[in-house]
Amino acid sequence: MSRLVSRFRRAPASPSKQPVVPGRALIWLIGAFGVLLLPQWDRLPLWLLVACALLAGWRWLSQEGRIRLPGRVVRTLIMIALVATYAININGRFTVDTAASFFVIAVALKWLETRSQRDYYVLFFILVYLATVNFLFEQGIFWTLLNLGGVLMLLIGLQVLNAPDLPHAYRLGWRRLGGMFLKSLPIVVLLFLFFPRLAPLWSVPLVSGAAKTGISDTMAPGDISNLAQSSERAFRVAFGEAIPANEDRYWRGLILDRFDGEKWSQWQREPRRAPGRVLSEGGVGTLNPGEYDVLMDPSGQRWAFSLEDSSAVSNNLIPADWGLFRFRRPADTPVRYRLALADSAPLIHEPLSEAMERRFLQLPATGNPRARSLALELKRQSTSSRELIDSLLSRFRTQPYFYTLRPPPMPDNGVDTLLFDAMRGFCAHYAGATTFVLRAAGIPARVVVGYQGGELGAGDDYLIVRQYDAHAWVEAWLPGSGWTRIDPTAAIAPSRIQSGLREAVAEEGSFLEGNWTSPQRYGDVPLVQWASLQLDKLNYQWQRWVVGYQGQSQMDLMSRLPGNIGLKDLGYLTAGLVAFVLLLIGLVAAWRQRRLLAKDPFARLLVRWRRDIERANIPVSHGQTPLQIADSVACHSPHAGALARSFAQTLNNHYYGGLNSDNQQNSRQVLLRLKKLLVSQKKALRHSGAAS
Amino acid sequence: MPRQLIRQRWLRWVNRRIPRSDAQQFMQRNIFILPTGTGLIFGILLVIMLLTGINYQNSLVYLLTFLLGVVFVAAMHQTHKNLAGLKLTLVQAGEGHVGDRIPFVFRGAADDSDAIAVSLSLPENSVSLQHVLAHETTDMVLMARGERRGYLLPERVRVETRFPFGLLKAWSWIRPASAAIVYPRPIAPPEWSGGVAEDDESSDAAVTVAGHDQAELRPWRQGDLTQRVQWKRYARTGDMVIADWEGEQGSPSWLDFDAFPGVDVEVRLSYLAAQIIERSKSNEPFGLRLPSTRIEPDTGPTHTASCLRELAVYGLPEPGRDVPASKEMPS
Repeated sequence: MSRLVSRFRRAPASPSKQPVVPGRALIWLIGAFGVLLLPQWDRLPLWLLVACALLAGWRWLSQEGRIRLPGRVVRTLIMIALVATYAININGRFTVDTAASFFVIAVALKWLETRSQRDYYVLFFILVYLATVNFLFEQGIFWTLLNLGGVLMLLIGLQVLNAPDLPHAYRLGWRRLGGMFLKSLPIVVLLFLFFPRLAPLWSVPLVSGAAKTGISDTMAPGDISNLAQSSERAFRVAFGEAIPANEDRYWRGLILDRFDGEKWSQWQREPRRAPGRVLSEGGVGTLNPGEYDVLMDPSGQRWAFSLEDSSAVSNNLIPADWGLFRFRRPADTPVRYRLALADSAPLIHEPLSEAMERRFLQLPATGNPRARSLALELKRQSTSSRELIDSLLSRFRTQPYFYTLRPPPMPDNGVDTLLFDAMRGFCAHYAGATTFVLRAAGIPARVVVGYQGGELGAGDDYLIVRQYDAHAWVEAWLPGSGWTRIDPTAAIAPSRIQSGLREAVAEEGSFLEGNWTSPQRYGDVPLVQWASLQLDKLNYQWQRWVVGYQGQSQMDLMSRLPGNIGLKDLGYLTAGLVAFVLLLIGLVAAWRQRRLLAKDPFARLLVRWRRDIERANIPVSHGQTPLQIADSVACHSPHAGALARSFAQTLNNHYYGGLNSDNQQNSRQVLLRLKKLLVSQKKALRHSGAAS
Repeated sequence: MPRQLIRQRWLRWVNRRIPRSDAQQFMQRNIFILPTGTGLIFGILLVIMLLTGINYQNSLVYLLTFLLGVVFVAAMHQTHKNLAGLKLTLVQAGEGHVGDRIPFVFRGAADDSDAIAVSLSLPENSVSLQHVLAHETTDMVLMARGERRGYLLPERVRVETRFPFGLLKAWSWIRPASAAIVYPRPIAPPEWSGGVAEDDESSDAAVTVAGHDQAELRPWRQGDLTQRVQWKRYARTGDMVIADWEGEQGSPSWLDFDAFPGVDVEVRLSYLAAQIIERSKSNEPFGLRLPSTRIEPDTGPTHTASCLRELAVYGLPEPGRDVPASKEMPS
């Protein structure tokens, strides 16, 4: 044991033992840290970002020699302060965000301890993993490029660390890394295509504490008008055939059937979610007519959006009641799923069961008396449910009801206030009021929440649905035709349904009024519109083909290739590919060396010389120097040995003599002399061979 | 211990592969490459990243993993290429005393490709990173500790690079054929003055001198230093006798190996070294007489160096010639 220790102590002072980290390497590391934090900016609390900046800045200033790194006591105090702030802030919640925060705290504290190369490598590894974690949250093409840029900076930092005082480091470094990336790109692409996509080995849900923008499972008046201020994307849809007209694009998400006098909510709790993660990939291959692919952005919710009368094609959807669909788990990553439109098949409509009828007629015992009396009056006037609905809608159409993003507050008896006093509201108000009146009139009805409309993407080949397309409407049970869609908003503001929110509130000027940075706000500027759509298209293709390239897409691609390639074959293929690449690199190196030798006429002569000697049955081993070989030739034949020694010496002189001996004239003469020697030695060898 | 056995075999194999030579061209045949500890951790990180990619079904994590994996392989190629094509020549093996650090000057010459961040190391010492850019040469001075008098021939000098990322190390060895010369450590010979001898009668040196009366003592002659007179003997016998430990002729210009009868050879050489240095400092002419050689009296640094060199290699075989792989050669 002690011997072992002493051996280690005597181990060569290797270059990695240098104690100091060069400043230029450090700045790359700090830069990479900054870049890799960017994708986390909305997940991390501000105080943490500030702490990171301060600690990294401290490290940098100490590198510059302006201030000193803190001692152990101060370090410990800082650590305690940060961890305490963290503990107070997370307050017992444990989500991916808090885990990410903790991770970042660890990195930030490490800055004060980055003294040796070892620390540098520790930070390098942590930051590479931070890039990995970033990919779990952000997968857009620009975030990807940013992340890869951060990793590139880390690699440059390593290069600087390993050759701190190299002249022209930047030029050489960029050229080297750039060449490396370019050369390795085809291999990366091949690996990406062929590496078998395995099923998850164990399930780790990606729980994010941050609320995502999007519709929720309760609806109070005003909820959806808040959503209308967001231009974030909800999902994108590609159709197998023509994109349906705007007024047919009702994306149903969930049904709210319980009214407590203020809010609409779901009668049933959502069923318990199954373990495992949502399959983010469904629907591969070309779309058949009638089918459509939805690529949903992470919503953190389980509901999928679908057109009316759709059926699930991909297996990541679970059909729920009333033609709705659910995912197994909340969609924490982009999810792709495929649906097919039914060929307008009218369902067989049995009367609603008593329990269902009671459920869809539920109203609070009191409240909104004027709406209730309106309902009774409408019921008295009309002979059928259909007629009642028509007269309610025509009331909306003819009386001065306004569709507005700035409705007045309606605290008590909101339905009464909306219908009789304010007469101004957003879709959620009207949908809630309509359902209330229908129920009060004895017609089973419910609120449907989802999206309506969508904007055509660049090239008009897909649809972009944004949060401001969020919508609420009504479905009523009509004997004979079943659940029927009724949209009071269409009666009040037809432009909302035909051309979207922008047109509907154009007069009011309230479209995205609180959202200055959204390009959609400037949708009437053609250039902005064009650029934003092109960007979206780029990202869409990226999501579809690169981010979405997973097990099913891979199998789909493989099935198009000749030969029946299974998952196992893919494994072999990948292994073969890696082996092939390694072999190729080896061959290139060997060839390079060969070429190196071939370029040097002296080396070529040496090869010939050795071959001649070997042919004369004088053993030559690999590691022998020319002089050693000459010695063994001398043992064999003194005359040839003298020539050989002369040859070896001349060669040695050429290689190791003066450094200024490389003038052309001189070396040509030496070459001639060597050639002569070679010829006469050959003769001598032949002679001695014949003699012996 | 099997571990040691394996190590011995490995070194023997390396020695056969890399014969002693003052010049070494690094190429595929003699470059070794392995991941460093950092490289191994990097490999583990890649596995963790791959698992992350699989578990979260995240294509971009796959992509990043593959990218870094390929970068690792490319780095293997680059690290190897970095060392390959470098030619290292021992241009000067230095000289110095025992205990000094003795310089070996290596000249690195690069071919078409740069050799960046190359380090030379001996078990006890290393040269910090040096760059040899394409078609240029760089001199690197490696200091070796002279531990024993004689020829100093490092068993193997390790040439290593970890460029560009420190994830891999490519290394080889150069086994110089030319030795550095390590002079004996100069030890000032004791002044054999009467006073000292009187005070120190029982000491070994005094006894030694006394024990060699017959051989070493001679009658006083004109010009002998009074200090050298054996006053004790004079007191006893009345003869003025000189203890002549400086040379048989008593000539002050000769430094003689035999002047220290009974003293250990190494110590004698150290005494001589000290005397040579002292003489050359005072610029007195001196000659050196060893049982094997003699150098006529002269002055100047060249003379001093050649005298010291004689002392250094006294009684030692010249290395290098006996080492070559001749016994490994099939005959």
